[in-house]
Amino acid sequence: MSALALKTHPPGMFELDFARHAASLPGAGLAWLDARRRVAIAAFGKTGLPTRRVEAWKYTDLANALEGDLEPVSHFGGAVDIANVFGSKPVDEVVLAHGLVRHIEVSGGLEVADLGLLDEKSPAWIRDNLGMLAASADQPLGAASLALMRGGVAVRVQGAQTLHLQFSNPALGHGAVSNSRVLIVVEQGASLRLLESHSGEPGRQRLANLGVELVLNANAKLEHIRLQSDDANALHVTTIGASLARDAEYRALFAAMGARLSRVDMNLKLASEGARATLHNIAVLNGGIADITTVMDHAAPHTTSRQLFKSVVGGDGRAVTQGRVAVRKGAVKSDSHQLFKALLLSPRAEADAKPELEIFADDVVCGHGTAIGALDADALFYLRARGIPEREAKGLLIRAFLAETMEGFADEAVQDALAARIDESLASLEQSES
Amino acid sequence: MNMLEIDDLHVTVDGKEILKGITLSIPAGEVHAIMGPNGSGKSTLSYTLAGRDGYEVTGGHMYYNGEDLGALLPEQRAAKGVFLALQYPVEIPGVATLTFLKTALNAQRRARGETELDALRTLKLVRQKATALNINEDMLRRPLNAGFSGGEKKRLEILQMALFEPKLAILDETDSGLDIDALKLVAEGVNALRAPSRAMLVITHYQRLLSYIVPDRVHVLAKGRIVKSGGADLALELEESGYERVVEVA
Repeated sequence: MSALALKTHPPGMFELDFARHAASLPGAGLAWLDARRRVAIAAFGKTGLPTRRVEAWKYTDLANALEGDLEPVSHFGGAVDIANVFGSKPVDEVVLAHGLVRHIEVSGGLEVADLGLLDEKSPAWIRDNLGMLAASADQPLGAASLALMRGGVAVRVQGAQTLHLQFSNPALGHGAVSNSRVLIVVEQGASLRLLESHSGEPGRQRLANLGVELVLNANAKLEHIRLQSDDANALHVTTIGASLARDAEYRALFAAMGARLSRVDMNLKLASEGARATLHNIAVLNGGIADITTVMDHAAPHTTSRQLFKSVVGGDGRAVTQGRVAVRKGAVKSDSHQLFKALLLSPRAEADAKPELEIFADDVVCGHGTAIGALDADALFYLRARGIPEREAKGLLIRAFLAETMEGFADEAVQDALAARIDESLASLEQSES
Repeated sequence: MNMLEIDDLHVTVDGKEILKGITLSIPAGEVHAIMGPNGSGKSTLSYTLAGRDGYEVTGGHMYYNGEDLGALLPEQRAAKGVFLALQYPVEIPGVATLTFLKTALNAQRRARGETELDALRTLKLVRQKATALNINEDMLRRPLNAGFSGGEKKRLEILQMALFEPKLAILDETDSGLDIDALKLVAEGVNALRAPSRAMLVITHYQRLLSYIVPDRVHVLAKGRIVKSGGADLALELEESGYERVVEVA
């Protein structure tokens, strides 16, 4: 093995962790996994921790946000607060603390494995899939999450299922980084409603680094609802790699309401004819950065992607939305649309929106739009002139702005729970504005 | 005491003086009309009375039931019974019309120290008032004013007036963009709300509306001042001779 160029801390912390602990990571000694981890740390090493000099990270300077050494979390024995953020308790549930599985409760139809306990008896579907997505040099943090994976969960779906993945990040006495992975394989014709929540307690600086692989086989359906409300001081990076086979459908609603710096970095491949993806993103922030960066890769004819990102930014917050739609040669009749909108509630708030199109096929429909602005003064006056106090009127307009992102997702209980969390977030936003 | 007492009102918008000393009194029970050419300051007067940001009172006073209107926020004026029907009601996609009506009604009730109405009682009240204005359930479920026709928007303004039961109603060019049938329907709605305890200020460019809502007094506004006042006949006179002449003579 070639010597790794160890950089100084913190930029070299992942390489150093790998050099020191590769032999004791979960599944160490499994040749296929060792090989993938080695490839992944080399892929990460091409950029290292991204600074603004890396084009895809030019609005979100992760390296500079780190305050110093972060200790890898390889074990956590403390109490975990389990909150039902999505309203009624789903039957199937996995609870993770700092990315390490704490508790698995599933009934039939779902196969679930703890990635912290991989061994030679681990099933073939994990070996066939783990690390194939969300680990390339284009997604350096995803690569690090595989190379340094301490835990996480693998799920195989047959039939129609619902699963809640609950990530909890309790307080720690030291600066910490967790590297974990999620692998979801939805078998042919099967469907999953995946509810994913992230919560955290205040404490020393912490980086939650998660890599997520979503494999949708032919005719599979995945509805993915994700709520990130980590502690306001946390750094939170999730790298998602998704691959959709023929006629597979992915529908996602993401909400980012916590963390000082959060980034969702998604690469979704519409790999076969008839594959369809819808991604809606909500960001509500009062400070710090919420970044969503996506690549919609139309690799086959008759594929469809829809993206709607809406950000509400107060204080000195910054919302970053970057979306690249790539239509490959031969991917005729590709149909894509992306719309990024941001509402700026303070003079210091900022939104950076960068839609990009790369089209190498004929006969495609690709649209995009961006709108960044303040609350509509006419609408605000209208509501106030009807007796609605200013703060309530602003809340009403903000909720109206976000409303269309939630339409048609999950059930009423989940929508209500999500709306309640958004309201909480807006309440703190408005208070700090007035 | 007059319901509305405007005394030498000067108003500046974006650094430019638009109203240059308006004096006007409206007693309870009366309907006054303000007519005037484009750019005379009609809408500025209505926005100033309702308290819109950016309409700066640089001189004079506005008293509503003896209270200084200028010291109140728009929502406080509304709760105290001032209502402005807008020339261009604002479209707000994402807020259902009924939700808006309930929120506004209860906000006003709360500000007055009255108990709020629950969803069912609000719905009953809205339905009862909506029927006369030919507003159906479907319209109430749609997002506020979004995709409404001109007539639907104006009818919804009048529905709000019926629902909130204001003491001072200001109608800003409520006739604009309406065909004759819609105009009649809206005028009937307004006339039904004429009451001894209520004053109205009807702002319009054309005499047409005043054939259906017959005013007690007519005032002509030009270049930020009231240049002539008279009875209902003044509107007809204006229609015949045109603004230019009346303004010149004044």
